[in-house]
Amino acid sequence: MAQTEEQLKTWMLDGLDGDAAAHGALLHALVPLLRSFYGRRLRSAADDIEDLVQETLIAVHTRRAAYDRERPFTAWLYAVARYRLIDHLRRRKISVSLEDAAPDLVDEDFEAAFQARMDVDTLLSTLSVKQARAIRDTHVEGKSVVEAAAEAGIGESDVKVSVHRGLKLLAARIRGSRP
Amino acid sequence: MNTDQLILSLSADLRRVPRHALARRIGFGMAGGGIVALTVVMSMLGVRPDLRIAMHGFAFWMKWTYTLSLGLGAIYAVSRLARPLSGSLRGLWLLAVPVLVLAGIGIGELSRTPSQDWLAMWLGKSWMVCPWLVLTISVPIFAGLLWSFRKLAPTRLRAAGAAAGLAAGAWAATIYCVHCPEVSALFVLTWYSLGILLAAGTGALLGPRLLRW
Repeated sequence: MAQTEEQLKTWMLDGLDGDAAAHGALLHALVPLLRSFYGRRLRSAADDIEDLVQETLIAVHTRRAAYDRERPFTAWLYAVARYRLIDHLRRRKISVSLEDAAPDLVDEDFEAAFQARMDVDTLLSTLSVKQARAIRDTHVEGKSVVEAAAEAGIGESDVKVSVHRGLKLLAARIRGSRP
Repeated sequence: MNTDQLILSLSADLRRVPRHALARRIGFGMAGGGIVALTVVMSMLGVRPDLRIAMHGFAFWMKWTYTLSLGLGAIYAVSRLARPLSGSLRGLWLLAVPVLVLAGIGIGELSRTPSQDWLAMWLGKSWMVCPWLVLTISVPIFAGLLWSFRKLAPTRLRAAGAAAGLAAGAWAATIYCVHCPEVSALFVLTWYSLGILLAAGTGALLGPRLLRW
């Protein structure tokens, strides 16, 4: 069961004040979050993912002085997790070989894709900043609602509502612009 | 070790983290390094004999204001970059203010000095050693900041290294002021700044390696 930002932050703050039980509860609650975070981004073995989860728990524990009590906890957590992921990839020297990357690099549809990207940008610029950001995060960049909410510092339902209303507006606008 | 065991061992004898832990940690690192640096300067270079008199003069405070304002700005940058979400560092353009003010004083100096003396004023007596001494004195302060970072979580390692180098360099220059008898604004603007920039550059080079976690 995924915990809410409020619950996680409460545990974090209590842990910072020396409450060992809250700290343990926090770390336990982070395990499924981190497993899915790394699982979605790495196609490596479960062992690797579990290593990363443990390293991140250790980082959350030893570097908790770097958490700002006034800011959302999940945003901080995912920033730590992302750093651990990048470090992991660097350490393993995992890089995409040129042959694998070649189709992406010399994509014949590059211009079309670029054009599409421009169209998306133009369309999104007609929405409010919050709606545009929510749609970009979840539908273009493929982040989860939880991550998008954490990064924007707003509630998950707020993200969902922004996406929903924004898409509806866009659909209306596209229909309206067609002859 | 399985994850449950790990969590158990991490939450056993948990230490409380004080409210301003990050500021304290950086403060302790800077202070520790600063004390070593000051000791080195006093014992190896010596305090300038006329320090008491100099402290009543304009040049001494001009130098200190310059190095201290850079040092405070750099510490602000360090404390931002010590968190994983460092946010915007746009406020750092304010660091240009002390540089421009000092440059203004320097132009005033030039206008008051006959042009055949300009070179002597600019080079002073110690231009060859000044930047290197500042760089050397910055080493213990930089080491102190490395210690601070061990419990912090920088994610932009090159920027964090550069900021730590800048802070170490600016505070090293501040400490060096108790030894250095130079009085010209242009001297400080060139040779002090060069030493501080060397420290910041070294920090940027070493950051990604030394600050990894």
